[in-house]
Amino acid sequence: MEKKHSSHGGKHEPCGCPGAQTMDLREETAADAGPAGKAPSMLRQWPVQLHLVSPMAPYFQKADLVVAADCTAFAYGNFHAEFLKGRAAVIACPKLDDGQESYVEKLQSLIEDAKVNTLTVLTMEVPCCGGLLAMVQQAARNAKRKVPIKSIVVGIGGTIKSEEWA
Amino acid sequence: MNKDLEQNIKAIISSFPAVGDILNEYKIGCTSCAAGTCRLKDIVEIHNLPAEEEEKLMGRIALAISPDGGLKVPKSGRKPAAAPGTLKYSPPLRRLVEEHLLIKRLLALLPRLAADLGSEEGAGLALSGLDFIRNYADKYHHAKEEEILFKYFDPDLEVIKTMLKDHAAGRGHVKGAAEALAAKDAAAAAAHLLAYRDLLSEHIKKEDEILYPWMDRNLSLNQVGELFGKFAEADSKFDPAAIARQEAFAADLEEKLADEAAAQA
Repeated sequence: MEKKHSSHGGKHEPCGCPGAQTMDLREETAADAGPAGKAPSMLRQWPVQLHLVSPMAPYFQKADLVVAADCTAFAYGNFHAEFLKGRAAVIACPKLDDGQESYVEKLQSLIEDAKVNTLTVLTMEVPCCGGLLAMVQQAARNAKRKVPIKSIVVGIGGTIKSEEWA
Repeated sequence: MNKDLEQNIKAIISSFPAVGDILNEYKIGCTSCAAGTCRLKDIVEIHNLPAEEEEKLMGRIALAISPDGGLKVPKSGRKPAAAPGTLKYSPPLRRLVEEHLLIKRLLALLPRLAADLGSEEGAGLALSGLDFIRNYADKYHHAKEEEILFKYFDPDLEVIKTMLKDHAAGRGHVKGAAEALAAKDAAAAAAHLLAYRDLLSEHIKKEDEILYPWMDRNLSLNQVGELFGKFAEADSKFDPAAIARQEAFAADLEEKLADEAAAQA
């Protein structure tokens, strides 16, 4: 199936690099059930890195948004089926990424402009990962519009350590 | 056992009174329910006991219905219950629970209001209390349940019908109390106020402890987000100053009645 490519104007427009080109994969994800025994990708969009995404992209509009720490997708085996299916996603590392001030602004824009329906924050159990939830909560405080936030902590051993409304 | 699971609890308890005693042991108060039309299946599901407790309860009910052990208990496929004291609501349902807190504060004052309906001041305070109930408890709070929350569930569910009947009965008591006050019938007004207090206290307890947690277990993440947005939209139609006045009224009344009680002591 042909992927839908688009570019979006505004302050969040990423550079012209192919890795940052916006792609809407929602129809493809829905159609591709995948052969038995193989787990199909549930990713509905490209890009996913928080610096690269545009909050104006159509797949963020009124979406249930997953804000995942980079490591969670590797640690949690059923990440695609449980957390990506039917949702939009962004990823970030609160310990190593530069320019995290812009993350707060971008998350605020996702709440206010994209009017996301819910935010699910996935972090690892390691203490340095908690910064991602703090960032999302800061963006939510800054936003005029309010939205439910759920926090899910993934253990290094690949289990869910906690799941609660923040 | 599947046939019994589909029966309403009143019929089961009527045929097998021991079932009522067993449910009471698990603090499932069906024996005192005026309606008793919930199905056994729904009652067990909605109370969300830990899996091993539910298995034990259903085993005992099966034996009470069929002492020869001929009934098989179906396995529950539900998520495990939250540990005691760890009940956490989703944001929209938390909002309703927070509104309950203010309503419960007013309910706690009703006996003292009912005790002094003979004086002009007492009757005036009771009328203000009825105004709070009409505007805050009913138009602001119950309307969100009836027009938004309950729409996410099957309207034929007995638990939803019971909640709606409670709302209707509450409105009847408010109307009755207002009419009695207008007729200067203090005894009748007091009876309606106290009946309303009993009805709504039990209603709120059922919602906080059983209904809302069950709803949270059955709402998808997407529906929680939708509900949150719809509640915010519904609240935005109310004047924030009017809601603040209702909140202030409850607090002022608490203070006034506490001062009076202290002066009499």
